[in-house]
Amino acid sequence: MITARRRAERGAAAAFGLTAVAGVFIGVVYVMGGNTALLGIGLAVAFASLAVGLALWAQHLLPERAYVEEREPAPSPPRLREALAAELNRDDRPLAQAPLPRRMLMLALAVLAVVAVFPVRSLLFRVRDPARALAETPWRAGARVVDDTGRRLRPADIPPGGMVTVYPDGHVGAADAMAVLVRVDPALLALPAGREGWNVDGLVCYSKLCTHAGCPVGLFVQTTSQLACPCHQSAFDVLRGAVPVAGPAARPLPQLPLGVGADGLLVARGGFTAPVGAGYWRRK
Amino acid sequence: MIARWVRRKLEEKLRVSRWGLRKLDERLRIASVVREAVAKVFPDHWSFMLGEIALYAFVSLLLTGTFLAFFFDPSSGERIYAGDYAGLHNSRVSAAYASAVELSFDVRGGLLVRQTHHWAALIFVAAIVTHMLRNFFTGAFRRPRELNWIIGVTLLVLAIANGFAGYSLPDDLLSGTGLRIANSIALSMPIVGTWAAFLLFGGEFPGESIIPRLYILHVLLLPGLIAALIGAHMGILIRQKHTHFAGPGRNDHNVVGSKMWPTYAFRSFALLSALFAVTFALGGLVQINPVWLWGPFDPGTASAPAQPDWFMGWLEGALRLYPPIEFTVFGYLVPAPFVPGVLLPGLTFAIMYVWPWLDRLITKDRAAHHLLDRPRHSPARMAVGVWALSFYGLLLLAGSDDVLADLMGLPVLTVMKTMRIVVIVVPFLFAAAAYALARALRANPEQRLSGLRWKQIRKSDVVEEETRHGGS
Amino acid sequence: MRRPTPAVCLALAAFALTAVAGLAAANPAHDPVERGRQLYGASCAGCHGQSGEGFMTSPSLRGVGAASADFQLSTGRMPLSAPDARPHPREPAFDHQDIAALTAFVASLGGGPQVPAVGPGDPRKGRTLYLASCASCHSASGVGAALPGGGAAPSLLNTKPTQVAEAVRLGPGAMPAFDTKTLTEAEVNSIIAYIGTVRDEFRHGGAAIGGAGPVPEGLVAWVIGLGVLILVILFLGRRAS
Repeated sequence: MITARRRAERGAAAAFGLTAVAGVFIGVVYVMGGNTALLGIGLAVAFASLAVGLALWAQHLLPERAYVEEREPAPSPPRLREALAAELNRDDRPLAQAPLPRRMLMLALAVLAVVAVFPVRSLLFRVRDPARALAETPWRAGARVVDDTGRRLRPADIPPGGMVTVYPDGHVGAADAMAVLVRVDPALLALPAGREGWNVDGLVCYSKLCTHAGCPVGLFVQTTSQLACPCHQSAFDVLRGAVPVAGPAARPLPQLPLGVGADGLLVARGGFTAPVGAGYWRRK
Repeated sequence: MIARWVRRKLEEKLRVSRWGLRKLDERLRIASVVREAVAKVFPDHWSFMLGEIALYAFVSLLLTGTFLAFFFDPSSGERIYAGDYAGLHNSRVSAAYASAVELSFDVRGGLLVRQTHHWAALIFVAAIVTHMLRNFFTGAFRRPRELNWIIGVTLLVLAIANGFAGYSLPDDLLSGTGLRIANSIALSMPIVGTWAAFLLFGGEFPGESIIPRLYILHVLLLPGLIAALIGAHMGILIRQKHTHFAGPGRNDHNVVGSKMWPTYAFRSFALLSALFAVTFALGGLVQINPVWLWGPFDPGTASAPAQPDWFMGWLEGALRLYPPIEFTVFGYLVPAPFVPGVLLPGLTFAIMYVWPWLDRLITKDRAAHHLLDRPRHSPARMAVGVWALSFYGLLLLAGSDDVLADLMGLPVLTVMKTMRIVVIVVPFLFAAAAYALARALRANPEQRLSGLRWKQIRKSDVVEEETRHGGS
Repeated sequence: MRRPTPAVCLALAAFALTAVAGLAAANPAHDPVERGRQLYGASCAGCHGQSGEGFMTSPSLRGVGAASADFQLSTGRMPLSAPDARPHPREPAFDHQDIAALTAFVASLGGGPQVPAVGPGDPRKGRTLYLASCASCHSASGVGAALPGGGAAPSLLNTKPTQVAEAVRLGPGAMPAFDTKTLTEAEVNSIIAYIGTVRDEFRHGGAAIGGAGPVPEGLVAWVIGLGVLILVILFLGRRAS
């Protein structure tokens, strides 16, 4: 019995000693530049030995007995409840005494509570109509197609099976304007009716924003001509107008009509076929 | 010898604190309050310390977070990073990202604290969930503790929200992707969606406003609320006293266990130290969220695999598995993320909030309880709990379907299609099994799960009938 | 102490490669093309035909060029582990010298791009390009990731600079090809320099648990983090039970 207690005492003391040593170690490591791993080890050892010491103390050096605490019943005794009720409903009854001011006070507070919600509208001060902002992108008929460094592109710049992220000239980095330009075999293209002339020798251009949750569909699997989204694994068939073929996306990627300007540079011949990115209530 | 010296020193210290107490009491009259506090009885069962793990993780988060706040610059404005990381040296990036990389490469001890903070956050939410499961399966939420259950659910919601806000702050590629998905989920809400998203982000995604806004939520509003609610949670706990498991001498009118001082205080400090040891060990030795590898956020780029922290993973899984179904209401679009991204978490937390009352409908038990149930006591509750545990666990798994596919060498789409069926079917199978097992265990109170025989499971309904008749 | 910069590493690697190639060429007894022909006959002709004309599902090697042969052989994709296997990166079946010989032989069949030369690059420029063009499949951390239709984009952490340059130009398997107009030679060099930086800092901050982000992190938090703490409370709560 006594020896077990002794052992625990020694163990706890040794543990606290180790804490102190680890503390010195932390100091030294910190002064020498603060290596992440060594600092972590020092702190971990310091606190682990502290925990061991305290645990030994709690489990072996403190009297082992169970205490019983009585629990008083939750409702207050009726006498106290009545006393409280009496205190609240004093004979002058402050609220009942003056009904008109009370009602007007309620009204005033209610109006203030409603007005207090108004500042939420202040959070948006750059845009007037969200749904309109969502529906528009900087792509216009005649906009030159540039890559993410602002380089103007010619059809020959994209090799077969190649993919480039593009923007309208002057809007590099615009989150709603980014599009992917991919080159596929023109013979395999089966674009929806009315879009036959939208490709340039197998070059097709789609919005890069996934129609599911708006992630960039940056994965181009050239063997299957599919654009895929790394977030939720939706896949779109580039050959058939980027219709969704797998995953949770329900709408095709909006397409951009492509053409070649007089200077031989790639241009857009209009905006996207639909609002880009994730869907929303007022999306047409 | 050393032990004796330590004891002597400690006793001296105690005398000093007693002197301090005397002085305080002379001014504040606190003797009876403090006496009541130190005499508080804590039940001796390990599962009562799960909530304490969460509490101490919060302490660790406050301490490490304060350190981080001295260096982190929550701004989308661009500046030059001029630190030690070669892949970013002299690059123009957002101040938020630059300062997060500085914390990882240039501030002494910064990476340790950053990583410790993130590990502590993951453990914080994990401990809350585990604590909550214990309270669920033992019926600790029953009358008179409904209010504390509601506060607990709110704490879980706030912890998840604050975890997501913190994850989003460094403006790296992964967190930017997470914010983009959050934006799309907000957009998907009927009627108010576009406005909600635009108000939150101050305009079209990504905008310049979201990081400073998330920062003030992350360091002031949400932790303030969490701290206040933890106070209320523990105030109610002290007022109502702990529950405890049935045992000799234990009943609905008492609490049996160890006193606050000295036993429980020592244990509790040991646990606090252990939590610091674990989080610092992880923070120093295991890399977490290497923002320098993810790179700065750029709307045009994405990385795969892209997952959120685990506590958002079930939502990610739901978004991945939900089939491509969009419909229109009066000509307006209800996009695919609405059901898994808004409806599912809304329903989940709504059911969690009203669970104490749903449980009453199931068990027909409206009485106040201070003695805990054994999990087997209510097979229906057990079935619901196991269903939820497996459903959300499988959603979490589905949230990493691409990582799973990579590990198993299967196409991602195969994993996705399989999981669509698995998350629907398997939880019901598990729930049915749990129901049968709980019933068999209830009929054989002496038996443990591992010792259960097939015959007992099959015959449990017969035994139950007999006990019911015998009892009435 | 400063680590050697990625540029220096690359220069050394490039030097080593040229040295190996030089050694092979310097030995007159082993004309590399002749040696390559022998090796080809023994290891490749069974599928690709005696003179690289291709057979059934095996593609013709005429016109694929040195870059492709070097890429397929040095990354261990060729020869296939089984006739109907998908090519995947593994330990190369031949040593440097034999790969150089086989490459020379395939190049002698005519046409195709040469093995690209890799020079020093700017990792900062490389970062932007890498994140824009490569990260969505190979992951920002370079560990690779699964592709939606099956298969995976391989990890780049154990690749050699030349292999990366070859892959960029050739677009092997599911990967799209990038020619010199979309990614200039200097840009490819920068991407390779950035991959070197990622490799250098891959373990910064401790054990990189797979480099796959929150999935392994969550697992560690639950199993190690909460797991250890639950063991602690099991011990602390043991007492009066």
